[in-house]
Amino acid sequence: MAKKPTFDYDLIVIGSGAGGSAAATIAARAGKRVAVIEASEFGGESPNWGDVPRQALLHAAQLYDEAKHAARFGLRSAMMGYNYPSLHAWKDQTIRRTGAGGNRRYYENEGISAFNSPAHFLSPHEVSVARRHLSAEHFLIATGSHIEAPNIQGLEQVKYLTPRKLLAATRLPKSLFVIGGGSVGVELAQLMAIFGTKVYIAEIASRLLPHEDEEAGTLLERSLKEQKGITPLTQTRVLSVIKDGIGKRITFNRGGTEKTVHVEEVLVATGRVPTVDIGLENASVAYTPKGIEVNEYLQTTARHIYAAGDVLGHGSPTHTALLESRVAAHNILHPKSRTSPDYTATPRLVFTMPGIASVGLSEDDCLKRDLHINKAVAPLSIIARSNTADFRDGFVKIITDKKGVIIGSTVVSPHASEIIHELALAVKHQLTAQQLADTPHAFLSWSEAVRVAAAKLS
Amino acid sequence: MQTSDVIKRDGQRPTETFDQAKLHASVLAACLSVRTPEGEALQIADKVCEVVMKWCETKPEITSADLRRKAAEALENHHPEASYLYKHHRLVM
Repeated sequence: MAKKPTFDYDLIVIGSGAGGSAAATIAARAGKRVAVIEASEFGGESPNWGDVPRQALLHAAQLYDEAKHAARFGLRSAMMGYNYPSLHAWKDQTIRRTGAGGNRRYYENEGISAFNSPAHFLSPHEVSVARRHLSAEHFLIATGSHIEAPNIQGLEQVKYLTPRKLLAATRLPKSLFVIGGGSVGVELAQLMAIFGTKVYIAEIASRLLPHEDEEAGTLLERSLKEQKGITPLTQTRVLSVIKDGIGKRITFNRGGTEKTVHVEEVLVATGRVPTVDIGLENASVAYTPKGIEVNEYLQTTARHIYAAGDVLGHGSPTHTALLESRVAAHNILHPKSRTSPDYTATPRLVFTMPGIASVGLSEDDCLKRDLHINKAVAPLSIIARSNTADFRDGFVKIITDKKGVIIGSTVVSPHASEIIHELALAVKHQLTAQQLADTPHAFLSWSEAVRVAAAKLS
Repeated sequence: MQTSDVIKRDGQRPTETFDQAKLHASVLAACLSVRTPEGEALQIADKVCEVVMKWCETKPEITSADLRRKAAEALENHHPEASYLYKHHRLVM
């Protein structure tokens, strides 16, 4: 009988973010010899420079904004102010408290070997890490993604900001031009505007948040413009960025007209590309510039190598990367009962004020698939909570199929990221609008809008 | 700036330190073999070496296949014919 080849590890995970950490922990707890290789900061993007610090600052900003506008409730808030270095300290504290940022010791305590250096495949079963060669029976590639500056004349020559650099900056720019009106772009635009920065936000599509429900994008655009003084520039192509004194001069084309604006800083919040420069060719792993190709079990073209998270190129949020990481670990540990990730009820969130959350199919998706649907919208203004909170901009939209089964929903509301989980449960377990409408929803909760929308469809 | 080590293809020959002159000579040879004027060939080889050197900056170890692939990719932008020859020289020659 042929001798089974021996490897240094059972599993090597490349990347310690959400796509890698869960799999490494699961495999180590199942008694496997596991190594994690991290090129940058342990924990990856989300806790160190992404979701966590952004959300920490957004929370503070939204509190500040609400307080500033609280005179209508009888509160005296004219003297409200902020200290940006203290806000920074708060942000850094939240990163430390997650335990996920810079968590090398966590892996070591779990019996996982941790290496802090870029990995490069030398062959299908071997990687080089700081001139050390490590072999493994299985690999999980979870290298995530990085920002690649769009092809705009002069952009490479000026010092532009990325979301990571903006959150690390110790002072706020007086004016900011945001390139990219996706979720990160609008969150940071709102954050900066609340703290007094004059913000322009350019998006090539006809509305901000082009991947979200049309009404949600339109409502947020209006809210950013009217309440935060942000200048949304939709259908806008940025042509050039030139250094102009201590600031930058941006030339863009909007509706066939060329315009110019002078700002202090430029933020590139678009163009995330998968991080695939790790010698994948040496491991026979097929990939395109859009990401690594995997089958339904998250196996790459080299079947012992799995991939999860942003490196797959579908712009997965942290919770999706975690799901994929768990699925990959399961498939490595239990090859005879492999599973596939179920994305049907994965919520998509935008942490603005009001928040935007969606699950399942959007109206656009249904249109593209030529599905016969019913939909109902409940504006926030018709529920009691909007009266007591004096907040009316928002809605709950529910989409059902012809049988009344809920197939998608969008919520634009305060606490939208909490409300959406009820609808995610409905989508996952194919509940009908009638069942949702029959479920009691507490008086004076924002969730009453869900019941109202469901009742319109039942 | 660190120097990259190049791991040879068959795994039998010892690892070498990355030699820019060797890369330059191989790219130059590929260009000259498709009748590129010498001056242009030298310019192209310089540019290709620059791209490959930049790519190597963050990599302590690379394989000879990596080097050939990256050089061919960079060469493709300047001289597709020479790039094809460079990529497939073992089959073509």
